Amino acid sequence: MTGLINAAPTEKPEEFRNVFVFLETRHGAIVKSSLEMIGIGKEIADKVGEKLVCLLVGDHLEPMAEEGARYGCDKVVGAESVDLEDFKTMPYAHYAAQFITEEKPNIFLIAATHNGRDLASRIAVKSRTGVTADCTVIDVDTKERILLANRPVYGESTLAEILCKNHRPQMATARPGVFKVPDQLDGKNCEMDIRKVNVDPSLIRKEIVGFRPKEGFDITSAGIIVSGGLGLGKKEGFTLLESLASELGGVVGASRPAVDVGWIERDHQVGQTGRAVRPKLYIAAGISGKAQHIVGMKQSDVIIAINSDPDAEIAKYSDYFINDDLYKAVPEFIEAIRKIKEKKKEMEVSA
Amino acid sequence: MTLEIVVMIKQVPDSQEVEIDPVTKTLNRMKARNVLNVADDNALEAALSIKDRVDAHITIVSMGPPMADEAILECMGKGADRGVLLTDRAFAGADTYPTGLALAAAITKLGKYDLIFAGEETSDSSTGHVGPGVAEFLGIEQITYTHSVEFEDGYVIGERELEDGVEIVRAKPPVVVTVLLGANIPRRQTLRKKIDAIRKGVETWTIQNLGIPAEWVGFKGSPTIVRSMKTIKEKERAAKMVRVEEIGGLVRELAGNGIINVEAEEK
Ligand SMILES: Cc1cc2nc3c(=O)[nH]c(=O)nc-3n(C[C@H](O)[C@H](O)[C@H](O)COP(=O)(O)OP(=O)(O)OC[C@H]3O[C@@H](n4cnc5c(N)ncnc54)[C@H](O)[C@@H]3O)c2cc1C
Ligand SMILES: Nc1ncnc2c1ncn2[C@@H]1O[C@H](COP(=O)(O)O)[C@@H](O)[C@H]1O
Repeated sequence: MTGLINAAPTEKPEEFRNVFVFLETRHGAIVKSSLEMIGIGKEIADKVGEKLVCLLVGDHLEPMAEEGARYGCDKVVGAESVDLEDFKTMPYAHYAAQFITEEKPNIFLIAATHNGRDLASRIAVKSRTGVTADCTVIDVDTKERILLANRPVYGESTLAEILCKNHRPQMATARPGVFKVPDQLDGKNCEMDIRKVNVDPSLIRKEIVGFRPKEGFDITSAGIIVSGGLGLGKKEGFTLLESLASELGGVVGASRPAVDVGWIERDHQVGQTGRAVRPKLYIAAGISGKAQHIVGMKQSDVIIAINSDPDAEIAKYSDYFINDDLYKAVPEFIEAIRKIKEKKKEMEVSA
Repeated sequence: MTLEIVVMIKQVPDSQEVEIDPVTKTLNRMKARNVLNVADDNALEAALSIKDRVDAHITIVSMGPPMADEAILECMGKGADRGVLLTDRAFAGADTYPTGLALAAAITKLGKYDLIFAGEETSDSSTGHVGPGVAEFLGIEQITYTHSVEFEDGYVIGERELEDGVEIVRAKPPVVVTVLLGANIPRRQTLRKKIDAIRKGVETWTIQNLGIPAEWVGFKGSPTIVRSMKTIKEKERAAKMVRVEEIGGLVRELAGNGIINVEAEEK
């Protein structure tokens, strides 16, 4: 426990070297967003000629350590115990902080998943340092070895560059889905230091008593998304969007209020508090285009907006703007696709 | 035995009305209306719904400018029993470390605490780091990102939303619980409670009340600094107007560009 103590500047910051990455694991594998951290961590480490050290906490860590090695870690350290099998904040933060004390990393990156954020701030307080949340751009000043942590603020309108000059490690969490998963290597040159530990019982104060897995639907992997918002006016609107999505071989997405009123399940939600998606085609029907929605879909290749309000904000984020009632436009869309498909079929038959 | 609950709330500029001062690169709070951070309202509701069932006493703690007492009074108007506002020049410009430190110092000073509620994040700094930071300063466990919280047989049971599912966690108090935005439907104030709240008033504490040095909090106590702010340039999009009668043409264009696939699928 840290106690009521300030974040005093770190005494010999020059002694801190290397880039640390926390590897979050689920069901025996490293989560994708942590692999992304290996990618950006390695990039930063290479720029300053340092090592990438990855940190595992859990049980049966060997396969995950090997996985980390294949993705490019120079060293994997880990604390292993049956008591660490489930994610529990206090013991996880304890071992992370212990490895920080031992290894003295200059930079420490964690994927900004819910568990990642749960942990990051506690590790930072334990180490009496700062942490920048949810970065989308991460770089390093190669001379001073200062982390340049950039995070979007004010409804994603502005990018703030945040520095932590006098404290070590310089910590950041990074937004999932922004950085690239690195290519796999043979992973032979990775140093391993996985230790069996005895967890102090006073650190075990919560118990995971159940888990309900998501029922397989993952909107982030869809190539085409047809999203609906409050403009649908009723739950049945999603049935219409479902037909369009199925004609296109895509899936249905939603704005947050459409989820909140219960028209569709939360795993369909796109945006700041939903999922960030980047499909080939994103169709937004009856969505106004508020910043919190836009941030989740603006990376899409092509965006079509359908909105009856000529001044809807969504227009300026769209490649094509259908300024009309979606109940007229969507059926027309479905019809148009069917017609083309019919024609193709006829041509194939006659050919 | 009365369950002692603390709810940490923050008054934030209404996210729909925020402007950024180009010189100081900070939020121009003068222009926007100030409101109770939405997730904190959900956190309060979670606390109140426990108080509906068991003997509990709720204290609101907030760090902010003097006018933040409005947000605290609003919470009391909904059923919180006591309000404490940490307000002092020394607190200004804090990042999450000293914010957590000041709040943890205040909670320690309150004496006994069983449950400490916070929102998942604030709309103005959106880090979600303050709740867990407080838990660390106090040396207690936390259950974050909950959409439901129950208190039964001396245990807190929280359902946490994770990327791959919902995790059900059980812990004994004291524990910090952070609540998702939209986790519940916050109740309204009642006239009666509102009047009581105004009569009771909000206690204001300065740095002196916390028993920690002034250099530990606020800007001076913050390990991070904002070096620069840049407007994010959006990809320019054409917003080409398409009338409903032209959708057929649009679909052919998309098919031609390989954006959509119109091969009749095998049935
Ligand atoms: C902290 C925070 C996080 C948030 N996270 C998210 C998030 O992750 N995702 C998200 O989406 N939102 C999020 N929001 C909410 C966001 O601010 C907006 O409120 C929301 O995106 C608006 O949803 P909407 O466009 O469906 O509804 P509205 O804003 O009500 O827009 C409805 C639109 O439909 C149009 N319309 C109405 N009828 C028709 C019709 N017949 N045909 C065509 N158009 C029609 C209207 O012109 C209007 O533009 C968040 C908010 C906060 C404060
Ligand atoms: N100044 C503050 N005063 C009281 N509570 C706060 C303050 N800042 C943050 N919090 C609490 O911590 C949560 C997370 O805030 P943040 O880390 O700023 O995203 C908020 O939802 C509040 O419950």
